[in-house]
Amino acid sequence: MDDLLKQLALCIERGKASKEAPYPPDMKGQDGASELTQQALAASISPNDILHKALMVGMNNIGEKFSRGEAFIPELLISAKAMKAAMEHLKPYFDSGVAQHKGTIVLGTVAGDLHDIGKNIVRMVLEGAGWQVIDLGVDASTEKFVQAVDQDPTRIVGLSALLTTTMVNMEDTVKQIKQKYPQAQIYIGGAPVSKEFNDKIGADGYFPDPHSFAKHLAAQASK
Amino acid sequence: MPQTPREIVRRCLEFDFPERIPRDLWLLPWAVTRYPETVEQLNRRFPSDLATTEYFYPPSPRVKGDPYKVGYFTDEWGCVFRNLQDGIIGEVEKPILESIADWKLVQPPYEQLPADFSEPYEIIARYYESTDKFVLANICPRPWERYQFLRGTENALIDVMMPDEGMVDLLKVIHDFYLKEVELWATSEVDAIRFMDDWGAQQRLLIPPELWREYFKPLYKDYCDLAKAHGKFVFMHTDGDVSDIYEDLIEIGVDALNSQLFCMDLDDLARRAKGKITFWGEIDRQYVLCSKDPQVGRDAVRKVCSHLYDPAGGMIAQFEFGAGAHPETAIAVFEEWHKWDEEERKTVV
Repeated sequence: MDDLLKQLALCIERGKASKEAPYPPDMKGQDGASELTQQALAASISPNDILHKALMVGMNNIGEKFSRGEAFIPELLISAKAMKAAMEHLKPYFDSGVAQHKGTIVLGTVAGDLHDIGKNIVRMVLEGAGWQVIDLGVDASTEKFVQAVDQDPTRIVGLSALLTTTMVNMEDTVKQIKQKYPQAQIYIGGAPVSKEFNDKIGADGYFPDPHSFAKHLAAQASK
Repeated sequence: MPQTPREIVRRCLEFDFPERIPRDLWLLPWAVTRYPETVEQLNRRFPSDLATTEYFYPPSPRVKGDPYKVGYFTDEWGCVFRNLQDGIIGEVEKPILESIADWKLVQPPYEQLPADFSEPYEIIARYYESTDKFVLANICPRPWERYQFLRGTENALIDVMMPDEGMVDLLKVIHDFYLKEVELWATSEVDAIRFMDDWGAQQRLLIPPELWREYFKPLYKDYCDLAKAHGKFVFMHTDGDVSDIYEDLIEIGVDALNSQLFCMDLDDLARRAKGKITFWGEIDRQYVLCSKDPQVGRDAVRKVCSHLYDPAGGMIAQFEFGAGAHPETAIAVFEEWHKWDEEERKTVV
């Protein structure tokens, strides 16, 4: 069991999605995340163990490397692809309640802004850390965010912006959500955003990279 | 006799003691529309020493719309952009190539390049004669950005990890077109060729440096080699933290680099690159220029100058007056650069 989960974690970390995937070249022809997840389920390893002891371990390893400057965005993306391939097999267990996410996060790029690569990377990292992510896409209005929290006030919110002209829209979104749900946790990210800006608009945190955001959320969830 | 703007820029690039720091103001329609008086004041008090030659290709039949207007715009490669704000360029909504296996479908806009370049050469030469400014070619090859426009950013970043699946082929299609463009322009009457690509994320290079060196550095080297073979200077723009590739760009012959200095460690950059390349600006757009406090702009200029200024040259006072920039801070930036320059020259005397 341990060997299988270790190999699966390695596939996630290295970005080996499936047997036929060409990347990484040194793992050519080997089983990937998709096949190993199926094998783990067939060996009666619980979906929660697969998620926590393999998939999240692999994503955490690549995330740590990214934080230390030892990995780059394409490596994060390709690991996330492998994670997605594995999660396809676990989805029925999440849908039926056999396996559980850590919680739900609503992510979106704020109104007026069409940039999505930063948000998408955060989404992949958070999914890899065991969270369910509801992606509102780009140019997401304040109303959209409020409606998403209306459906479940325990949802955490993440706002993204790339432009100095659109980051100001974060303030309105934070204000409207907090007015209705003062306990809501709202985090912000994006190239022009800073801790000072976070404090000014009354958001709950700014993180310079997705992995540090995921670590913060994990620490909050374990309290 | 005072040096002309062209001579000032040339001396700056060659570390041959220009009489002052050359200036270059980048204006986006966003600023021109919102702050015409500030733009007029900046142009009057601090005229740019660089100009772009006024020859434009004939309109492409593929182009539809205005890139700087709200709505949709199709460019000369057929990429469709969606824009939500007047005065800036939008984002590609749906990449043309969903699968990299379809790379052969891409058709570069060769029809734009005049079959006979003799008339353009005359127009370009006339422009050169009409100005005493340092003249840049009116092209801007951008192989990586074009690749992203065609494939989408996320796909492009993943393609880099599997170059043999089609990335190398698509990149060659793009590069061949740009090479042809550089070849045409390098033999025209301009002082410099320029190209661009945003290679930095906020804290590091977008892709592993070794992959950049293997697949992208040779492209830029080709442009540099062509330009140098015809005695032209080379200017490049790249956003983000690109400290990992500064030496590479110096090595291949980039003379002036416009990079986001404020994303990088200026002490480190000064140690590694000062005296070897010209810092073509810039002043930070993310935190400084959008500040309402002009002192923030002045402090930023002092920070850049205290690290990178050299009386021999190697610095162009440059910033972009674009989306979100505050007009008073924009003016303060050039005022401070001018002030620094005057103070330094008094010290030397």
